Amino acid sequence: MRRLGDLEAEIMDRLWAWDRPATVREIVDDINTQRPVAYSTVMTVTNILHSKGWLLRDKKQGRAWLYTPVRSREAYAAALMEDGLGASTDRPATLLHFVENMSEEEVAALREALRTVGMQAEE
Amino acid sequence: MNAAPALIGYMAMVGFAAPPLMLRSKWPHRAPVLAVLVWQALALSFSLSAALTAYHLATPTEHLHAGFVGVLHACGLHDGVGRPDPGTAEQLATALPGVVLLSLFGSFVWHVVRARRARNRHRRTLDIVGYRSDRLHATVLPYGAPAAYCLPGHAPRIVVSDSAVRLLSARQLDAVLEHERAHVAGRHHLVLATAEAFVSVFRWVPLARHAREQTALLLEMIADDRAVRTHSHAVFATAMYEMAAVGAPRGAFAVGGHTVLIRLRRVLGPDGDPHPVVIGAAAVAAAVAPLLPLLLACPPNLA
Repeated sequence: MRRLGDLEAEIMDRLWAWDRPATVREIVDDINTQRPVAYSTVMTVTNILHSKGWLLRDKKQGRAWLYTPVRSREAYAAALMEDGLGASTDRPATLLHFVENMSEEEVAALREALRTVGMQAEE
Repeated sequence: MNAAPALIGYMAMVGFAAPPLMLRSKWPHRAPVLAVLVWQALALSFSLSAALTAYHLATPTEHLHAGFVGVLHACGLHDGVGRPDPGTAEQLATALPGVVLLSLFGSFVWHVVRARRARNRHRRTLDIVGYRSDRLHATVLPYGAPAAYCLPGHAPRIVVSDSAVRLLSARQLDAVLEHERAHVAGRHHLVLATAEAFVSVFRWVPLARHAREQTALLLEMIADDRAVRTHSHAVFATAMYEMAAVGAPRGAFAVGGHTVLIRLRRVLGPDGDPHPVVIGAAAVAAAVAPLLPLLLACPPNLA
């Protein structure tokens, strides 16, 4: 069974990939090439994305709204990464990132530590 | 006799003298699981001492009653059933330790709930923005630097940047993911939350700050150990180097990275387990430390 979140992702995937304003009809037709989905369902979820601030709609094509993503996928990803890597004050929240940002000297010390045991920095 | 002076002395020992000893020792980094337990035991011991000190300060003339009920009462664990006329001192005596313990517990719950909310928010966005990789069992995000982190707890996610996927070899990448899986499986976020709770209540105690800092580092080491169980030290160390060295955007997140150097040196030159005597002593300390304040506060009823 598909969850609501999956459809949200499918809608956003298409709008990001197309990189142009699109109507709900276009999105439905494209999803329908892979699986059947009702127009009203996509309409509802697109509305949710709009009210959550993911999508803009300021122009119409005929009677249908044209939707565009508010921010690029990369912009969202960068914000997530920075949160996940500890920029947020909620350290225990997303936390446990692999390594922290380092200074040049520390990187040099790392390289030296690898060199002394005769390891290549690249595998 | 009142136990407050003894308890205060003990608190000074645990809260101020013990942390430098722990930091100077070599064994914690060689036995990180045990070391986390010792830090937690010290924090628990300190908290109990604080609660009992509050009790004893509120009842300076408290006499110990022989017998089990008396001991329970002196420990503040018993509301004094059958004791006539509970005066203000007595009410205070039960209320104060309660306040100490409740604020610790409340702070823990607050940290856990707040963190869970932040993770849920993060996960909802992540599930729309990231690409789910069934091969890696991870979510891949487009990002200019190699990086990985995890969202522990309910519906966990392991997140890795597409740069890391491109840059690292398959084995290096799996070692990094194994490290993150260890965090999730070990519920490390809850361990950190106890350290956070302790530091929010006893902010001014060196033990609290060091316990939080060291717990975070030791948890990384525990996850490192898990990764090198299934991958060679060389693969893991080089993966670590790649992740640390390739330019992450400056100032985007907290700098404080010399812990990576400590971890890398540790992975490269494993010292082996500490001497069994050291392990034994540390284990005994972890077990006994939380009991000591009780012994101090409630001298055995034979006294």
